[in-house]
Amino acid sequence: MAENKLNDGMYVIGGLFIAIAGLMFLSPISLMENDWVTLPLIGLPILGSLLLMGFSSAVPAWKKESISEIIKYASLGISLIVLIITSLMMTDILMNVHWATISFNQYVYEVEYNWIESIGAEWHVGIDGLSMPMVWLTALLVPITIITTWNEKKPWYYHPLLVLMGGCLIGVFVALDFFMFYVFWELTLVPMFFLILNWGGKERKYAAQKFFIYTFSASILMLLGIITLYLLQDPSAANSSFTGRTFDMHEMIKTAQEEVIRGNIWLGAGTQKLLFVLFMVGFLVKLPVVPFHTWLPDAHVQAPTGGSMLLAGVMLKMGGYGMFRIPISMFPHAVVEFQMILMIIGMISLFYGAWVCLGQTNLKRMVAYSSVSHMGIILLGIASLQPLGFAGAIFMMFAHGIISPMLFGVAGAFKHHYHTLEIGSMRGMAKHSPWLAGNMMFSWMASLGLPLLAGFVAEVAVLVALWFEFGWWVIIPGITLAITAAYYLWSMQRTIFEGGEQTQPPESLGDEEPKDIYLTEKIGLMSLAILIVIFGIFPFIFFEMMSGYSSELIESILWDEIRGRWG
Amino acid sequence: MAYDVVSVDGLRFLLPELVLVSGILALFIITNIGDAKIRLPLTRLRIPALLGGNRFKWNSDPRLPGVISVFTFIFAIVMLIQTLGGDTCNNLVEKFCTDTTILTTTGNSPVDLLKLDSFSRLFELMFFLALLLVSAASINRLQADSNPSNDDLDQLLDNRRQVDFHLLLLISGLGMTIVAMSMNLFVLFVGLELASLPIYVMVAFHKESKAGSEAGVKYFITGAISSAIGLYGMSLLYLWSGSLQLSVLEASWAAMSTPETLPLFGISLLLVGFGFKISAVPFHFVAPDAYAGASSPVAALLATASKTLGFIGLIRILMIVTLPAESGETAVWMLAFGILSIITMTWGNLAALGSENPKRMLAYSSVAHAGYMMAALVAVAAWKSGNFEDNGIMAAELIIGAVIFHLFVLISFKIGAFMVLSHLETENEVTDMSSLHGLAKREPIIATSMFVFMLALAGVPPLAGFMSKFLMVTGIVQAASADVLTNSNVDLIPTIIGMHWTFFLAIAIFINSAISLYYYLRIGVLMFFEEAKTRLPLPKVSVLRFVILLCALGTIFFGVNSDWLVESAIEASSTLF
Repeated sequence: MAENKLNDGMYVIGGLFIAIAGLMFLSPISLMENDWVTLPLIGLPILGSLLLMGFSSAVPAWKKESISEIIKYASLGISLIVLIITSLMMTDILMNVHWATISFNQYVYEVEYNWIESIGAEWHVGIDGLSMPMVWLTALLVPITIITTWNEKKPWYYHPLLVLMGGCLIGVFVALDFFMFYVFWELTLVPMFFLILNWGGKERKYAAQKFFIYTFSASILMLLGIITLYLLQDPSAANSSFTGRTFDMHEMIKTAQEEVIRGNIWLGAGTQKLLFVLFMVGFLVKLPVVPFHTWLPDAHVQAPTGGSMLLAGVMLKMGGYGMFRIPISMFPHAVVEFQMILMIIGMISLFYGAWVCLGQTNLKRMVAYSSVSHMGIILLGIASLQPLGFAGAIFMMFAHGIISPMLFGVAGAFKHHYHTLEIGSMRGMAKHSPWLAGNMMFSWMASLGLPLLAGFVAEVAVLVALWFEFGWWVIIPGITLAITAAYYLWSMQRTIFEGGEQTQPPESLGDEEPKDIYLTEKIGLMSLAILIVIFGIFPFIFFEMMSGYSSELIESILWDEIRGRWG
Repeated sequence: MAYDVVSVDGLRFLLPELVLVSGILALFIITNIGDAKIRLPLTRLRIPALLGGNRFKWNSDPRLPGVISVFTFIFAIVMLIQTLGGDTCNNLVEKFCTDTTILTTTGNSPVDLLKLDSFSRLFELMFFLALLLVSAASINRLQADSNPSNDDLDQLLDNRRQVDFHLLLLISGLGMTIVAMSMNLFVLFVGLELASLPIYVMVAFHKESKAGSEAGVKYFITGAISSAIGLYGMSLLYLWSGSLQLSVLEASWAAMSTPETLPLFGISLLLVGFGFKISAVPFHFVAPDAYAGASSPVAALLATASKTLGFIGLIRILMIVTLPAESGETAVWMLAFGILSIITMTWGNLAALGSENPKRMLAYSSVAHAGYMMAALVAVAAWKSGNFEDNGIMAAELIIGAVIFHLFVLISFKIGAFMVLSHLETENEVTDMSSLHGLAKREPIIATSMFVFMLALAGVPPLAGFMSKFLMVTGIVQAASADVLTNSNVDLIPTIIGMHWTFFLAIAIFINSAISLYYYLRIGVLMFFEEAKTRLPLPKVSVLRFVILLCALGTIFFGVNSDWLVESAIEASSTLF
C-alpha cells in the first residue's frame, strides 16, 4: 500500500539532494558576511517543529490522517532548508577559508548576544574545523532519516520530533558558551525520549526512561564541572554580569592557552584533574564507553529506526565532540596525566564491544555493540595525543556518523519487512530482497573498515597514531578489527546468502511474501552509501580541515605538557 | 524613611493590604445584598435595606465570589507596583526594587513593626500571584453537590461555599503580606497565624470526603502544636534579650561571646515552627496527607505560598539574627541544618519514588525541594565563616537570591502541576496515577504542559526549575570551594578532601536530582504511553485551562529569559545584608 503512496515528490527530493551536493562545490554565494546564519539553523527547526506539533495536536484525532502528508513535507522542507544553509556555509568554508583561521579556538560565523546578563550567560555561537563537519552531518542526517522512515506511524508528531532533534543537536555543536551548551545538551534528550517512548519496540518504556536518567545523571556531573569552572574565573575582569564572570568557552580556552605559554598549569594540577574527571564522566557516558555503555544497547534496540539513526549518527558524537571542545582544549595537564587511563578504557571498549558482538543474535543489538566498539577507536585516537590520532578520531566521528545511520536504517528496514531482528532466522535474503541485501552488505562492509570506504581512513589514521605512541599495543585494536570482520562476515553468511535448509523466509513473516525495500528507504540508504564512498575516496574534503585543527590543538595547548613528560 | 503606621503617610505604603481588606468587605457585602425591606417606624413605608432577604440572581451566581477575589488580587498587584520605585530605584523593567521604608508604632519611642523593601515587596508579589492563580482556578470549583442541578437553591449554596472559600483566601493573603514585611517576632507570629488559620480551614474544605476531613484535622493539630512550640521559642528569646525586635535580637546575638543555652534553645524551638511550614524532615509527616486530602488548588497553595512563609521566617531568623556578622565564627546551626537538609531531600525523593497518588508524589517532591533550599541556606553560613566577597556580589546574596528565585518560579510550575490535577478532578477524584493515563491522547496541550512542569521540577534546562537549581548550586559551590580550588597544586584526591564540607551538599543536590528524575519522567510516561480508559477530552473549564497555559508559559519564560527575575531576586536578597 505504502508503495502506491509514493509520488513524484520523492524523485524531486532525490534530485534536490544531488542539487545540494552540486551546490557544495559550485556555490558562488558567500555567507561569510552574514554571521547570523547559525541562528536559523537552530531557531528554524525548533520553532518550526513546535509549530507543526502544535498544529497537529489541534487537529482532532479522526482528521489527523489527512494532514499527515502536509506535516511530512513541511518537516522535510524545514530540514532541507537547514541542509541548504549548512551546505552553503560548508562550501564557503571549504573554498574561501584557510584552515589556519578556523583551527584551534578561532571561529567563523561567530555571534555573541547577551542572554542572561545577570549571570553572564551569552548566546555565543561559532563554527570551527571541529564543529563544521558535525553541523553538516546533523543537517544531512535529519532529511535522510525523514526520508528513510517516511512511512512511520503517527507521522504528525514523528517527523517534527526528528526536526526538533536536529535543531537541538546543531545547538550543541555551535555553542561556545557553557550555559548554552548545557541547555542544548539536555534539550536533545527530550525529543529522543519521546521518539523511543512512542515509536519504540516492546520494552520501550523501560528503555526510554533508562536512556533519559542515565545520560541526565552523567551530565549533571558535567554541570558541576561547568559551575566550578565558572566560579574559578577571575571576577575582577571587567564585564557586565552580576557575578563578574562569564560562561564563555572562547575566553576560557584563551586563558588556558596563555597560561600554557607562560609555563603555568591553569587553575593548578589538582583542580584541573577534578574538572577533567567531572567533564569526562559526562562525555564518556554519552560516547559511550565500557563500563558506561549499558544504556546504549537498550535504547538502540527499542528505539524506532529514525531514532536509532540520529542517536547513533549524531548523539553519540556529542560525547566525542565535547571531549575535544572542553577537556582537551582546557586541561592539557590533566589530559596528559590521564592518557594511559583513557587508552585503557578505549582498548577495553573497543575489544569488549567487538567481542560481545560475536555472541549477539539480535541485529540491532549487534550494531549497537559495534557502535560501542567504534567509539573505543575515537577514545584511542584521543589517547594517542598525536595530531594524526586526533584527526583520525574526529574523522571517525564523521565517518561513523554516516555509516551507523545506514546500519540502523538497514536493520530497521529488515525489521519492517521481515518482522524480526534475529540474525539466524533466515538465509538467502539476497534472493528475496536484493536491494535490502545489497544495502546491508554495503553498510556492514563500511562498518568493518573496508578500504575506499569512509571508516577505513579513520581506523588507519588512529592505528598509525597508536603505533607511534604506544608501539606494540596496537596489536589489540588490530585483533579487534579482525573480530569485527568476523562477526559481520558471519552474520552476512547467516542472513544474506543462501545455504543449508533455512532458505525459507522466517516464520515471523507468516503468509506474507518477502518484499524488497520501499523507494523512500532506497533513497535514504543509497544517499548514505554514496556519501560513504565519496568520503572513502576523497577523505581530504574534511580530513585536511580536521588535521589542521588537530595539529593546531596539540601545538598550541598540549605540546608543552607532552614534551615536559618525556623530559 | 520611617513613618508612623497609622498615619496617612504610613498607610500610603500599605495600599495593597488596604485593597485586600476592602476586598474582604466587598465579599461580605456584595454577596449579602438582597431584597430585604424595612418598614419605617410608624409608617407603612417600606424601604429596601439591601442587606438580607432573598438574594438576587446576579449575586447568587456561584462564580461571583471567585471573580471578586480575582479582581481584588489583580488590583492589589497593581497597587503594589504603584507603590514601588523611589530615589534609589526607578526602572522596574530592569529589576524589581523599591526604596526601604520602615513603619513604626505610634508614640515617643517608636518600635519598628513593618519594613517595606525590595525583599518584602517581592515576596508580596509572589503571594499575590500565587493567590491570584489559586483563586482563579477555584472560580468554578467546590460545588456542594457533586451532581449540581441548576436550581436556585443549589446555586445559592454553592455561592455561600464559594464566599467562605474566597474569604479565607483573602484573609490568608493579608496574613502572608504581614509576614513578608514584619520586623518583629510578634508581628511575624500574628501574620503567620492570620495566614495559617484560613489555610487549615481550606485544607478541610472537602468536608464531605473522609480524606478531606482527616487531612484538615491532622494538619490543624500538627500545625497548631508547631506554632505553639514556635511561640514558646519566641518567649524564650524574649526572656533572653528582653525584646522581640529582630534588630535587637541580632545585636544581642552578636554581643554573645560564647553560645548560650537559652537563645539556642529558643531558636531551635522557633525553627520547629518554620520547619513545619516548609515541611522539612522530621516535621513533614503530615504534608502528604494534607496535600492528598485538600483540593488541588489548596494543595498548590500549601506547596508554594505556605512554604514561602516558612522560608521567610527561616531567612529572617537564620540570616539576620543568628549569623555572626563580622567574626570568623561558624554559625552554630550549620552542621545540624546541613545534615537535616540532606535527609530532607533524600527522604522526599525516595518517598516520592514509591507514591502511587500524584498529589502525594507532588507533596514529597515539595519536601525534596525544601531540602534543596535548606542546603542553600547552609551554604550562606559556610560563606560567612569563610568570609569572602568579590566584585560587589557576595556568595550569600547569590544564594538567597537563588532561594527567592526558586520560591518565585515554584508558583509557575508547582501551581501548574496542581492545576492539571485540579482539571482532572473536574472529572473524577484523583487518587492514583491511573487518572493520568493516556492524558496526551485526550488533551495533548494539557499533557504537554504537565510534562513541562515535571521537567521543570526535575531541573531540566532551559526551564525555570533548572535556573533556580543552577543558581543554588552555583552559590553553594562558590561558598564551599573558592579558597580551595584557586591555588591547589596538589593531586586529585587531596583537592576533593580539601573542599569545605558544604561542597558535598551540591553533590547531594545533584544525586537527588538524578533520583527525582525517575518519578517525574514516570508521569510523562504515564501520560504519553499508557492507554486511557476513555478517549473523551476533559470537561471544558476554560479558566483552569488558561491558568495551566499561563503557568506553562511562565515556566518556559522564566527559564529562557530569567534575567529580570534573577536581578530582582538578588536585589531583594541584597537588602538583607
